[in-house]
Amino acid sequence: MIGNLGQKAAGWIVNVAIAMTALRTNLMRSILTTLGVMIGVFAVTLAVAVGSGAQVSVMQSINALGSNMALVFPQPDTGEGGRRSFDRGRLTMRDARAIEKQISGISDIAPQLRSNIQLVVAGRNASTNAIGATPGYGKVSNLVAESGRFITEADVRSAARVVVLGPTVARKLFGDFDPVGETIRINRAPFSVIGITESKGSSFGNDNDDIALMPISTMRQRFSGDTLAGPDDLQMLFVGFEDGVSLPQAKREMTRLLRERYRVRGKDINPFTIRTTEEFMKESAQVTGIFQIVLVAIASISLLVGGIGIMNIMLVSVTERTREIGLRMALGAKRSDIRNQFLVEAAVLCVIGGAMGLILAIAGGTALTVYADFPVPIGVGVGIGAIIFSAFIGLLFGGYPAVRASRLSPIEALRSE
Amino acid sequence: MNLPAGIHKTMALVETQDLVKNYELGGETVRAVDGVSLSIDRGEYVAIMGASGSGKSTFMNMIGCLDVPTSGDVRIDGIATSDRDGDALAELRNQKIGFVFQQFNLLARTTALDNVAVPLIYAGLGGEERRAKAQAKLEEMGLGDRLDHSPAKLSGGQQQRVAIARALVTEPVILLADEPTGALDSKTSEDIMQIFQTLNDQGITIIVVTHEAEIANRAKRRIEFRDGKVIEDIAVKKRRTVDP
Repeated sequence: MIGNLGQKAAGWIVNVAIAMTALRTNLMRSILTTLGVMIGVFAVTLAVAVGSGAQVSVMQSINALGSNMALVFPQPDTGEGGRRSFDRGRLTMRDARAIEKQISGISDIAPQLRSNIQLVVAGRNASTNAIGATPGYGKVSNLVAESGRFITEADVRSAARVVVLGPTVARKLFGDFDPVGETIRINRAPFSVIGITESKGSSFGNDNDDIALMPISTMRQRFSGDTLAGPDDLQMLFVGFEDGVSLPQAKREMTRLLRERYRVRGKDINPFTIRTTEEFMKESAQVTGIFQIVLVAIASISLLVGGIGIMNIMLVSVTERTREIGLRMALGAKRSDIRNQFLVEAAVLCVIGGAMGLILAIAGGTALTVYADFPVPIGVGVGIGAIIFSAFIGLLFGGYPAVRASRLSPIEALRSE
Repeated sequence: MNLPAGIHKTMALVETQDLVKNYELGGETVRAVDGVSLSIDRGEYVAIMGASGSGKSTFMNMIGCLDVPTSGDVRIDGIATSDRDGDALAELRNQKIGFVFQQFNLLARTTALDNVAVPLIYAGLGGEERRAKAQAKLEEMGLGDRLDHSPAKLSGGQQQRVAIARALVTEPVILLADEPTGALDSKTSEDIMQIFQTLNDQGITIIVVTHEAEIANRAKRRIEFRDGKVIEDIAVKKRRTVDP
């Protein structure tokens, strides 16, 4: 049994040696054929990697929001006749407190206002998306001050003119200089820089570091006044949950609570929208999954073309070496010997092409990661998969030529010129 | 001639019974071999002669199990071939028959040693055993110093000796040679024929297809084909042997 296996293994080794000789004999042709498979495997591998990179990137972006949270925001409703009702589509600080009090499992809430602001210092200026926040924002969004401090309750109570800058804004205004303690002007009013947030990178091409935070009370007084329907209104509420809390259930409970508070009945449209990170993740996984399938499908076309190239060249090889096939048969080669010889030759071509394609894909993936800041992970699994898949392509497209070779009649093959 | 069949089988190494081969050519049936029955015993040295188209090559291919007869049977060393499939015939060729061709048929860009080792691959031998046996056969053929030479670096005579080593490496009972000197000059042909005679003296059965009377006269028995039939089957009287 072991001897038999050893013999079989030896047979395959001989076939690889025969294949290498044959491929060396037509070196240029072999290289060109390999090139087709190389491009195909490169495209497919990179497509798989870019797809999973997109998935990773999306998950990172969602995690950057905070891992276990819900976003609640007012949903302005166009009522009957298309007229906007101001009673509906609101979310207030009172709603936020009610949620915090009545829903279980909440770790922190982060009520917010948002506004675009101009920051000026020493002739330099920057425009950014400012968030009027409470200390809870840092906790819910996993955002901490890299230097200086975050907004405190005292800041909120006194509507202090303090601002926490994102790294991008800080760099625009101050370069590499640490601006904590400096004074800047926001829409002409002097603000004191109390902290710099740590970097959160970017997601979906958005720079997460291009932000500025100030106490929600300061924002309400100075920047949001006329855009809000009431003095207590919020534009966004983050609700952070403790680990292990069921987000779908928490969402149902919050929906019931807010519907009661706004007296929404039956099938009426809710004046608010609640979205959880879990939903974002599921939807994104779906979208990136489809994205990946489409990408791989397109890339597969090049691999198919590469495979057809293999089949073409193997058919040529079989035709050219008909006499050799006849000779080998005369010397005792069985059909399976001839078939395996050509299968191995095709597989060797494909595996070499696949390995080169894989190397190229790793290089391309690294370049994308380094220069485009887009993660393209090519793991060991993808690598091994690419090589095995290449061999499979070889067997698939080399199969027909190999079987054709094995079915030749010995004497006719031997007589051919 | 009235020997029991069993004994007859053990005597004859190659035996044909009403061997017929038809070809379809342009809608017409051409009878290349037309009912040939003959037997060749162990240790014989047979020359098969005939003009081109006489059917001698077709006959040769059938006793070499390379071609399948239309009807009739070929027995090799007592083994019937008509009911054997392609793989079984391949095994039979590998074990019983050594082929020598006019054009040598060596694999290009492959060393003499690897060329000789090819039949042993299909016999299922391991790499070291293959190399040892191939080397021994090449040394017998006086090519011990040419093991790593590819065919392109060998003379015609040397190439044919590599081919003979390849034919003999599986220790077959029959050596089938199809115009073995057809591509060689007369001096080299002489060398090859001397090798054949030595091999026959050692007890190997040799069947040579040739159209040269010179070559045929080295054999002990001459069979002549015409129009697919044997027209002469005689012992060679004035046998030319190589001068010592």
